[in-house]
Amino acid sequence: MKGWHRYTITLVGGLAVGLGAAWAITGGGLRDGGIENGPWSTSLGYGTKATDPITRAAVARAGLLALPAKETVYWSAKTDAAGAPLDGNCRYSLSGTPLDARWWSVTIYDEAGYLVANPANIWSVNGANVALDAKGEWRVTIAPTKPAEGAWLPGTKGQPFHLTLRMYNPGKAFRADPAKAVLPQIVKEGC
Amino acid sequence: MRSWLGPLALGLIVAVATAYAAIWAIPYGLMNVAIDRLGQGGVNTMSYGNLATPERQPVVRPSPDLAYSSCPYDLSGGPIAIDVAPVPGRYTSLSIFDAATDVIFVRNDVEAGGKPFRIIVARAGQAVPKGTEVVRTNHDHGIALIRLLLKEPAEIGGLDAIRRQSSCGTVTKLK
Repeated sequence: MKGWHRYTITLVGGLAVGLGAAWAITGGGLRDGGIENGPWSTSLGYGTKATDPITRAAVARAGLLALPAKETVYWSAKTDAAGAPLDGNCRYSLSGTPLDARWWSVTIYDEAGYLVANPANIWSVNGANVALDAKGEWRVTIAPTKPAEGAWLPGTKGQPFHLTLRMYNPGKAFRADPAKAVLPQIVKEGC
Repeated sequence: MRSWLGPLALGLIVAVATAYAAIWAIPYGLMNVAIDRLGQGGVNTMSYGNLATPERQPVVRPSPDLAYSSCPYDLSGGPIAIDVAPVPGRYTSLSIFDAATDVIFVRNDVEAGGKPFRIIVARAGQAVPKGTEVVRTNHDHGIALIRLLLKEPAEIGGLDAIRRQSSCGTVTKLK
């Protein structure tokens, strides 16, 4: 093999490895770079000039046009409370108390971050449309079929899913320690 | 084996340089795609988007609870003015993003005292109308986005007229 052959091979290989590495490094989405709270994770550095190039690229890929944390905190969950990946074939209880924010919502997406068609045309629940029980808690069922009672967030059979929790204008107490804030519980009830 | 040392060193340098360059370029590339997709109503004009559905998702992770109005902008011909009319009692915010996807300005309805406001977006050195609130940027391109929160999608019918009072356009008068 001639010298320039070797250089050509490593040059092309280097380009491919570099591009692949860039894509892999920035593919962590909203999970990397930050704060963990049960199955939820976020970073308070989104949407600011101070973020490093890797975070900026990761946010551009996972949540382009995201707002900074003072305006909105975006939490992402890919697993249930037990750490198992969220599965559209299963039934989950999503529950909690009203969150420390002016407004909040939980939206269901596919793994790439897009809405999936469902017969009910429902993709989210929010603080204005969940009902509180006597204890002041709300509860929503995530399942491929409508539950006999209560609020429903449709899952899609055969498809994993992700949840995004948005908290608009989060309270000061929340921002002081987001890792300890009380966030919604995601508990698998059956498949 | 020794004959591979030089080529491997080159490959390593190329890989690192490519990764750096690609990571740097990803936000610009994705912003261009977003400007293309959101800019079908035209540049430097406000488009009042329909609510996100599986069929209509111009950007990743759209919120189905939000009515998004967007103004993809181009400052190469001069500054633009953005007028925002908040909907009383509803979370409304204006956020302005530059070509690198950085947020360069955010204001919500509470910060605005629930009142309409005007923001001029200009590049450094561009002349702007006196007495206006100006946001300076180092990039020609970007997107201004207005979010309006809905309790449920059906509300858009009643709130659409108010949100259409928000607008965006090239600054033509400097006084």
